[in-house]
Amino acid sequence: MTVSAPRDVIKAGIRAKIVEIAAGLGIDAADFTDDDIIPATGLLDSAGVLELIVWYETEYHVPLKDDEINIDNLGSINAMTNFLLARRAG
Amino acid sequence: MTTAVHVPRINNNDDSVRVVRLMANEGDQVRAGDIVAEIETDKSIATVEAERDGVVLKVLCSTDDHIGVGSVMMWLGAHAGDPIPESSDRAGAALSAATEPTAKARALLNQHGLAASQVPASGVRLSAADVEAYISQSGTRADSSRAAWSTLPEGEAQPLTMEERAMIHVVTWQKDNAVPAYVEVEYDSAPWDARAAAFMAEHRLMMSPLLPLLAHRLVELARRSDKLNATIVDGARYCFRHVALGFTVQAREILYLVVVREAETLDAVRFVARLGELQRRALSRQLRPEESQGATIGFSSMARWNVSRHMPILPPHTAVMVAHAATRRGGTAVLGATYDHRVLTGFEVCRLLNQMTDAGDATAGRAPEGEK
Repeated sequence: MTVSAPRDVIKAGIRAKIVEIAAGLGIDAADFTDDDIIPATGLLDSAGVLELIVWYETEYHVPLKDDEINIDNLGSINAMTNFLLARRAG
Repeated sequence: MTTAVHVPRINNNDDSVRVVRLMANEGDQVRAGDIVAEIETDKSIATVEAERDGVVLKVLCSTDDHIGVGSVMMWLGAHAGDPIPESSDRAGAALSAATEPTAKARALLNQHGLAASQVPASGVRLSAADVEAYISQSGTRADSSRAAWSTLPEGEAQPLTMEERAMIHVVTWQKDNAVPAYVEVEYDSAPWDARAAAFMAEHRLMMSPLLPLLAHRLVELARRSDKLNATIVDGARYCFRHVALGFTVQAREILYLVVVREAETLDAVRFVARLGELQRRALSRQLRPEESQGATIGFSSMARWNVSRHMPILPPHTAVMVAHAATRRGGTAVLGATYDHRVLTGFEVCRLLNQMTDAGDATAGRAPEGEK
């Protein structure tokens, strides 16, 4: 993933990771939408969400502070994408 | 008719016993059920009884002899002149006491691929100190590893990663030190789930704080009880000044025990954040050494894998490791704990677990006692 990846590519990357982690738990997350609240869907457990966050930090080179890891910044695919783009813009 | 009095097996781990006292001498009349000897292993003392009425024809051991399980201690006859089997020599009845290792020494011998006959004993029995001295003097640690491999089917030795070596230390140290035992209680998990959901919503968290909140509850209880946050050193209880909470994290194939130091100084919000930070660092393999060692109390969950009960290994120098498991059908779950029975009793650990299962009342805003 390059730092100039457009919004749709970023969203597709995050969605693919969610599907991959869910599959590891034996869950089909193919219907996951960009606005679904990740913790609320129940598709990923806490460890799965944690894995997603760590992957997000590494994949997009976006180290997170503790107080940035919240549902407002990272709660959905759209939120994660917006946060990433805003961080890069800033 | 001549019959033998055999050395009974007291427990599965000891193949020999020491004769503490003989209560019957040659020529004595005994009745079935009479105690004829007292014997001991590393762990317990037992008595040996005559199985029939008769006369003691011959005694094949003496006080302080180390004799093998199943060997003949003495022969009984119906009459004083009954014949004694020809193979009835004494000489410790079965074993050379000088080479009989203690349980700790045997573990060390096995660990280093040594035979008891290789190591000189300084006392009546071969002790762990004898084995350690032998290893130290002969520098056989590396050689002993090769000796151990030589007994295995053909294969290849591969070096362990730092994390694997650390985990081996964690899971192997305790067999010679702590006395692990396990208890569990069953509880209704719904109140804790509700409390975690309320906490999560209040703080806009991404991950359920259920496990961190349970671990924080353990910290609070350990802070109030010296015995929970302690170990045994040189025959004394050693109470740790601070609570260092060890928490298991499965990071892909690697199992970590991340450690929240001075956990008693953190309120629930800061504790959840700190543990989350350590979990992220474990997953990205960026833990510093002090973040994965020095736990004084532990918490582990296997709920993620739908495990309904598990018995964790005690981390080094901890008295208790709490085991959280998945909620079963019907809404109940098991909260268990492995504990060092040298430090805690089963009653004390059951009390701890029952205190931990009190989630307070999320709907009324009451936190469990101790949660800030």
